[in-house]
Amino acid sequence: MAEDFRARARLWPKGRLFEDFEVGEVRQHHWGRTIALSDTLLFTTLTLSFNPLYSNRAFAEAHGHRDIVVNPLLVFNVVLGMSVEDNSEIGGPFVGVGALTHHLPVYPGDTLTARSTTRAARLSASNPANGIVTWLTEGFNQRDELVIDFERSNIVRLRHPPARKEATA
Amino acid sequence: MKISALTGKHNYFEDFEVGLVIRHARGKTIEGLENVLITNLVMNTAQSHFNEHAMRNSPYGGRLSYGGVNFSVAMGLTMQDCGENALAELGMDNIRLTHPVVHGDTIYAYSEVLRIEDADREDAGIVTFRHYGVNQDDKLVFQGDRRMLIKRRSYWGER
Repeated sequence: MAEDFRARARLWPKGRLFEDFEVGEVRQHHWGRTIALSDTLLFTTLTLSFNPLYSNRAFAEAHGHRDIVVNPLLVFNVVLGMSVEDNSEIGGPFVGVGALTHHLPVYPGDTLTARSTTRAARLSASNPANGIVTWLTEGFNQRDELVIDFERSNIVRLRHPPARKEATA
Repeated sequence: MKISALTGKHNYFEDFEVGLVIRHARGKTIEGLENVLITNLVMNTAQSHFNEHAMRNSPYGGRLSYGGVNFSVAMGLTMQDCGENALAELGMDNIRLTHPVVHGDTIYAYSEVLRIEDADREDAGIVTFRHYGVNQDDKLVFQGDRRMLIKRRSYWGER
């Protein structure tokens, strides 16, 4: 490559590691996401999530909704997605999700935002280079009404893992 | 529009009993269409799901399908049987991703009825399912519980 731009470049890194998490910290996640009708139809059909509330406006209206209901698993994935850079982008694999509640339906045109509270951060018993971090993640609509919340845990790598003990002969 | 003509006749609240286990009829192969599209659609920024070059020399040999996609597909495969007559999905719990999924893997789904409850309305009841996703090599890739508010046939069956 003729140009020297790569030699001059400095990485602007993304993501956080174990030492960056403090129990009780609350982070507003980036961006926000307005859910289009096409988003939920695409998600619903790609995942074969066949309930007409998610695909048939007249059917949804006949059940008291003002529009097609946004697939709740899409709501979950968007809220989790916006939390990834702050929580889990570079740390390690997903452990689990629990205590998830859908509080309100979401409709096309609604805008979701997300925030997380760090609930626990502990070292892994089996691998001292890793920690396990648990967050409460909450998703809100454009009226700041809570639409979903859940707990998520991930393996999160330590930035400075303890030196490995040398095996003794 | 006759509402009850648009959904199944055998999956109302009255049809579920604790201990029932359903093997769902369809599987789905995960490819970039599912993994990369949905990962990017929901703005998940972890590149292990969409940078093939970065992942080629990883233990997975390529892009790792995002867990949210894996269990959304597994739960989707259960939806016609378990949730076609649901009025609402209430919540989920105990979600575990137990095995990695890469492009080309196929997911099959099973559901077990864990609990049956009355709801605070007469036209529906609450069923808690444990959903399972199994790959083409019979490895469990996902399990998770989902509570759904499901129509009673006694009210909705002829509407």
